[in-house]
Amino acid sequence: MADNDSHRKLRIHALRYNPAKAGDTPRIQTYELEEAPGMTLFIALSEIREKQDPSLQFDFVCRAGICGSCGMMINGRPGLACRTVTKDLEADISLAPLPVFELIGDLSVNSGKWMRGMSEKLETWVHAQERALDLKRIEEPMDPALAEAVYELDRCIECGCCVASCGTARMREDFVGAVGLNKIARFRLDPRDKRTDADFYELVGDDNGVFGCMSLLACHDVCPKNLPLQTQIAFLRRKMVVQGTQG
Amino acid sequence: MKIVYTDVLVIGGGLAGLRLAIGAKRRGHDALILSLVPAKRSHSKAAQGGMQASLGNVIKGQGDTEDVHFEDTVRGSDWGADQEVVRMFVNTAPKAVRELAAWGVPWSRVRKGDRDVIMNGQKVTITERDEAHGLIAQRDFGGTKKWRTCYAADGTGHSMINTVADQAIADSIPVHERVEALSLIHDGSRCFGAVVRDLVTGEVSAYVATATAVCTGGAGRVYRNTTNAVICEGIGHALALETGVSALGNMEAVQFHPTGIFPAGILVTEGCRGDGGLLKDVDGHRFMPDYEPEKKELASRDVVSRRMEEHIKKGKGHKSRFGEHIWLDITQLGEKHIHTNLREVWDICHYFLGVDPVKEMIPVRPAQHYTMGGVRTDPSGQSPTLKGLFSAGEAACWDMHGFNRLGGNSVAETVVAGMIVGETVADYCDSLSNTPTVPLGLVREFVEREQAKLEAFTRGGGTEDASAIKGEMQDLMTAKVGIFRTGKDLDEAVDKLQKLLVRSRRIGLRSPQLGANPELVTAYRVQRMLKIALTVAYGAAVRTESRGAHFREDFPRRNDAEWLKRTLATWKGESDTLPTLAYEPLDVGRMELPPGWRGYGAKDYIDHPDTPGRQKAVEAIRAQHASDRFAMQAALMPYEHLLPPGLRGRNERIDERL
Amino acid sequence: MDSTPNVIAGVGLADRPRKSRWPARMDLAQSLTGLALGLFMWGHMFFVSSILLGKDAMWTITKFFEGYFVLGTAYPGIVSVVVAVVFALVIVHAFLAMRKFPANYQQYRTFIGHRKLMAHEDTTLWWVQALTGFLLFFLAAVHLYQMMMHPGDIGPYQSGERIWSGGWGPLYIIMLLAVEFHGGIGLYRLAVKWGWFEGKDPNASRKRLKTLKWVLTAFFLALGVATFVAYAKIGYQIRDQKGAVYTPSWVVPNPMEKAK
Repeated sequence: MADNDSHRKLRIHALRYNPAKAGDTPRIQTYELEEAPGMTLFIALSEIREKQDPSLQFDFVCRAGICGSCGMMINGRPGLACRTVTKDLEADISLAPLPVFELIGDLSVNSGKWMRGMSEKLETWVHAQERALDLKRIEEPMDPALAEAVYELDRCIECGCCVASCGTARMREDFVGAVGLNKIARFRLDPRDKRTDADFYELVGDDNGVFGCMSLLACHDVCPKNLPLQTQIAFLRRKMVVQGTQG
Repeated sequence: MKIVYTDVLVIGGGLAGLRLAIGAKRRGHDALILSLVPAKRSHSKAAQGGMQASLGNVIKGQGDTEDVHFEDTVRGSDWGADQEVVRMFVNTAPKAVRELAAWGVPWSRVRKGDRDVIMNGQKVTITERDEAHGLIAQRDFGGTKKWRTCYAADGTGHSMINTVADQAIADSIPVHERVEALSLIHDGSRCFGAVVRDLVTGEVSAYVATATAVCTGGAGRVYRNTTNAVICEGIGHALALETGVSALGNMEAVQFHPTGIFPAGILVTEGCRGDGGLLKDVDGHRFMPDYEPEKKELASRDVVSRRMEEHIKKGKGHKSRFGEHIWLDITQLGEKHIHTNLREVWDICHYFLGVDPVKEMIPVRPAQHYTMGGVRTDPSGQSPTLKGLFSAGEAACWDMHGFNRLGGNSVAETVVAGMIVGETVADYCDSLSNTPTVPLGLVREFVEREQAKLEAFTRGGGTEDASAIKGEMQDLMTAKVGIFRTGKDLDEAVDKLQKLLVRSRRIGLRSPQLGANPELVTAYRVQRMLKIALTVAYGAAVRTESRGAHFREDFPRRNDAEWLKRTLATWKGESDTLPTLAYEPLDVGRMELPPGWRGYGAKDYIDHPDTPGRQKAVEAIRAQHASDRFAMQAALMPYEHLLPPGLRGRNERIDERL
Repeated sequence: MDSTPNVIAGVGLADRPRKSRWPARMDLAQSLTGLALGLFMWGHMFFVSSILLGKDAMWTITKFFEGYFVLGTAYPGIVSVVVAVVFALVIVHAFLAMRKFPANYQQYRTFIGHRKLMAHEDTTLWWVQALTGFLLFFLAAVHLYQMMMHPGDIGPYQSGERIWSGGWGPLYIIMLLAVEFHGGIGLYRLAVKWGWFEGKDPNASRKRLKTLKWVLTAFFLALGVATFVAYAKIGYQIRDQKGAVYTPSWVVPNPMEKAK
């Protein structure tokens, strides 16, 4: 927290468009405000809404970089607005909604709906052999390192940055994206999920799944959680090719 | 008028709501969840540290049982909790952890053999048992005798809600996202669902249900400095309050978390201190042992927060341009530990402070953290005064936290209450006598009333600014209804909040439209938030004692003689500016653990006249059943009949095989 | 193979239509043909650049591939066969890679905008790869067809003449650029796509791979340009001797003669 007193004038150029309003067309609106120490885009946008334009739409929930609500295009690249500190940016900041997802208005997109659809399609839950559990009994042991490895992949916050950064997802709307492929990698690793590679092939063994990935790796480079998307997708590709060529 | 029918309407898509819906759905009832945001983005996600359950797998948790967890929780609550509910909770928590384990939560696991941990600032080597290898691990947390907090690295809440939300998807439970309940539909004795506004289109519709459950989390945003997410505005509390029938319990009990990063208020987990982090003052002196020689940094949250503020008042805080703060030092934990077990903490420090906690200390100051109070329910989770209305999780005053919640007990409560109330909701729906004959006229009346209110905002004529009123309320609450409270401050707060409430009835909008409109949302919410703020401030002003997180400088002692009772706030008339308070006594004669000293904090309290008698009776029963803890417990305070049949029964442990 | 129905039955997926195996095969085939062509391209570059060591060196390599040193006689037909195989690989590779191209104008526009907005290196590189790939549909086809039909026209003089007098120069220089960028990027992408050379720190490995990719591209481009200049120079020197064939003075008898 540098105690410097030179407050810059920030110019935030936000994309404005309300698809629900008849006749509305996308345009850029510029807001000027004075930078404060430690200012994040969450603070800046909240201030704009409070003091300048109460109609500006955007989404924040946790404002702490863990919920994945505030993904937006910040100077052309997807990122979490809440943990983007303005002092790291130029005084001119351009903000746009994440592409691919349904636009609600201005900077707000319906990534939740997309994610739910992805989860339903890829069945992103543990498929156990039996459902009846005896909860009184001691839990099944699990290798500590394996538990950590599963957690590593479970860290995805479904913010949609990977999808918005993906050339394939931009061109083909049914592509499951890095988020979907990472989920499959996560459940594949989880010993509690009894699905086999044959089952996973049914879910991602096509050009909407792992074979649609062109390895542009923008997902890996923009992931706010630094998930190992490159290696996980490569790994999944190898397994699915083995399944597809031998199965 | 659009009407959606379902068996169980769950308002809130966090852990409690999701788990409750899954329970009801698996019992064969249609459940539908309403959520302000996609379910996985609920504030449950922010629980970094962990979930308490007395599994006793780690060596430092050996000997842990429901009994120890029970005592820790009751002491933590400063005897404000409903002890039967605490028993229900502690017995179900291990089952909840194990269910989540089977569902896919990547709980951190025990690794057999030696490992180094930091305790009391010292490196200590502990040896985990071979038979514990691979079982769910526990860590140390504030206010607990044993290591009991199960965790998934530093993203426990995150992993839990991922898993539970995915199970809800597996069960095809619809989640209507980006909608907000505006009011509960009821006839004064029974709840029929809710009037709901679509935040994207602005459409208002009715959701009619046999059972309605409020699982909306906390109300932290009535404060300026809070660790809560921006959606935690107490709207669920307001839904219940505005019925005029169902009550909010103990709203003055507000927890402040010792370690909100300063000044942003974002939480860094208690796990920092649990794992050996220290609190230091401006001189770099570790001051907690001076105040709390026994538990030190790991006393309960209310005590640690108060000691920090006390120390700052003595001029020992570090002064910065934003005000004074304390330092949290985790540098001695080492890079590897911080990068694996406390990575979220590293992220937060890095992204929001520009601090590297491996090398530097973290500026912290207590911030509002948890709403102990909530929709008053009976042990089954149902409102005693409004049939068909249920509540679970932080939104409820089920009452297992009393006046202070222990770290790790909240995220545990969400799933435990979800499991229990999910069953009782299903029971309720099963009972034919509860099948509602829907009074459509009443439904229409409620929908039209809400529509009229919204239209009143957009018609214009108002002059007050919603954001400004909200800001004033938040500043007032943080300044006057904070950690240290006095009658003078509280009276002033109540007076000013009332004036704000009156002003809020004249709000005007700069962009008056009914569709997607953030300003309109602020406008109708701030009216509701002010009512919640008033239940907090007014309840605190009337309660002339100190208990748990409620600390009155002018009444520093806990006063069981007069105040061993639960505050119940109702809002009787639309035009009222104050809640109506009533009190529900806690029966010392039935307590398993009669009131006493908590083991930390002030030793000074005024006994209830029944306490010595009950204490004697309890000691006699304990002596009689000294060899069998289960028989002892059953003799002291039977509770198992309150649990759904499927959740009864003992929990297996390494040292306690079934 | 037929245990799979049991496997999926166990987890409730039995009633689903089974997914085609072709996407897996195609994905693998695209990568394998790409790998083969990429490695061929490097080898090819080394062989043609032998001219930098002198006409004799280039002649020797050419005749080696025509089987002269093994069979005692040069059979340019061998080259035709090799070219035919490469041609087939190119066709398969192009066919498979086409799946990844923008399928319509809308997608094309979207990708162009996306690339510009993101300014992300690997995304831009893919676009370069796609464009050069598109160019190679034509350039490579022409070149390969020519070589397949006239395998005997490879040699210090014939090749030099093609560049200087035969009008092939512009095609070769564009193809050199296209092929080196396309192949270099493609080989780098193969490595990250399949997780080769990940090592302990995949991020660091990727950086190293990227650096290596640029170094190799620069090297082969330099080599290519030098080679091009060398042939052009020869072509210039023999500009008046149409149809000249170079044979080293130490070779007796002329291998082509003997073949006849």
